[in-house]
Amino acid sequence: MKRLFGVFVNGLIVENPLFVIMIGLCSSMAVTTTVANGIGMGVALTFVLVMSELIISLFRNLIPESIRMPIFLIVIAAFTTIMDLEMKAYFPVLSKSMGVFIPLVVVNCIIMGRVEAFSSKQPVADSVVDGLGMGLGYTWVLIALAVVRELLGNGTLLGRQIMPSSFAPMIFLILPPGGFLVFALWMAASNDLRRKLLAGKKPEPTQDNCCTLRENGSAEKA
Amino acid sequence: MKRRQMIKLGLILAVYTIVGCVGLAFVYNSTSKTIAQRQEADLQAGLREVFPKATGFTPTDTVKSTNPNIVFDAAYTADGPSGSLGIAVKVHGPSYGGPTTLIVGVSTDGTITGVKVLENKDTPGLGANAESSTYYVDKATKTTFPGQFAGKKLTDGFVVKKDVIAITSATITSRSITNLVQVVGKAASEVLGIGGSSPSPSSQGPSAVLPSADTVRTSSKAATSSVPGVSILETSVGTKAGTIVGASAKAKAKSYDGEVTVLVGVSTDGTILGVQILECTDSQGSPILAPEFAQQFAGKKAGAPLEVGTNIDAVSGATFSSRGATALVKATADALVKALAGGGL
Repeated sequence: MKRLFGVFVNGLIVENPLFVIMIGLCSSMAVTTTVANGIGMGVALTFVLVMSELIISLFRNLIPESIRMPIFLIVIAAFTTIMDLEMKAYFPVLSKSMGVFIPLVVVNCIIMGRVEAFSSKQPVADSVVDGLGMGLGYTWVLIALAVVRELLGNGTLLGRQIMPSSFAPMIFLILPPGGFLVFALWMAASNDLRRKLLAGKKPEPTQDNCCTLRENGSAEKA
Repeated sequence: MKRRQMIKLGLILAVYTIVGCVGLAFVYNSTSKTIAQRQEADLQAGLREVFPKATGFTPTDTVKSTNPNIVFDAAYTADGPSGSLGIAVKVHGPSYGGPTTLIVGVSTDGTITGVKVLENKDTPGLGANAESSTYYVDKATKTTFPGQFAGKKLTDGFVVKKDVIAITSATITSRSITNLVQVVGKAASEVLGIGGSSPSPSSQGPSAVLPSADTVRTSSKAATSSVPGVSILETSVGTKAGTIVGASAKAKAKSYDGEVTVLVGVSTDGTILGVQILECTDSQGSPILAPEFAQQFAGKKAGAPLEVGTNIDAVSGATFSSRGATALVKATADALVKALAGGGL
């Protein structure tokens, strides 16, 4: 139980996919102009990630090493399409505002990276928990980015006017350069916290064969 | 051995693919009906929104788009209790971040009944405000961007930042939606038999800039400009029932790094009736040939200052050419006013 909890918490800060492993950045920049989009994208990715990790971990002994990549892609693409159809049918408003990003979940490096580095070698329970942790790690970052960008760039939160009408929205923050700036500031804060968390401990134990992390906080790409 | 291995791997991959496909087929079957229903409901709701009083909608294929980039997906006649109320068109065309789909309603009395944005892929928070029901271009009256078209006459100019309020920081989205609405309006008005669509700017020659004249003849005395560098090439006079109602001139001058040629029509009371930018040889100047730029001059007083940035919008990317053309239009208009006042044309 304690081990599973460790795997779960891992994705939130210590091995956050966006701030530490630094994969799947393009979608995080593109959708975080509004909080609603950030939440939607986070939930969508978490669903696909958990399901893909579950299936691939279940079948990990039946996947030949040499054709593992195409098989991973088939599984990921199938779940993405399922989720796209379900969202279109039951959450049309969300599906509309997410637009092109949903099909792009297929090629989101976080899923491919976690499946390859983690669930193809780990038991089912660990894989599902890893998917949840990584998915939530991705989601909170999206929400954090979107709150700043929507509030200061548009004066609203979840579509509701928050700032007084005299406030002039900083449209710069909605545009891509503002996205990079907000991302960098949050990353600095998150990685400072990460350093403090790791300060007492030994350098990352490589118990999960995951991405090898260096002591100074930078990471190899998975 | 190697061949057997390849076949084995191929078969394994095939099994995964088949299982995946079967799974998808089940999900597709269970959701496709709901999705189709939702899209149909969206369309019906959109049609109702632009024609709230209609009792039903009958598909029609008589409305044709005049622009190859703008596609009419479906067109309906709105049936009222006593005959047709107008035409509603589902239309899509290019915008900033991909195609935008609208429903546009055109009434038999020559006005736009309403515009509904069905799909828009432009920047969230900027262009996507076209779709938002809480983004107002006029906060006092709570008018949304598509909402401002309701009741608009087809004879209006449909020029963003002039008679259409733009979405802040989303001029391209605003323009493309306005353009879609105008194209639908024109096409529908032809089918409905309303003559009121705006004068076609594509026709060439002096009569195009002298819409109030019934005859246009070459002037017997050429207008001359006192502004150095401006050469007036041709002067024409427009008459209606024998009386002079205005004059037009083709003029040429140096612009940014080339030359610009314009055709300007001025009425006897000194109002600019119409302008065409005929040619611009500036290296980046071709955008000013767009009719939207020339349309801005119509209705301006020749005596009043014309300046890019104050009462004339530059075409982005061609500010210097816009300035050059504006200065030339001003000089030509002044010369025409002088010639009209002098008489003897």
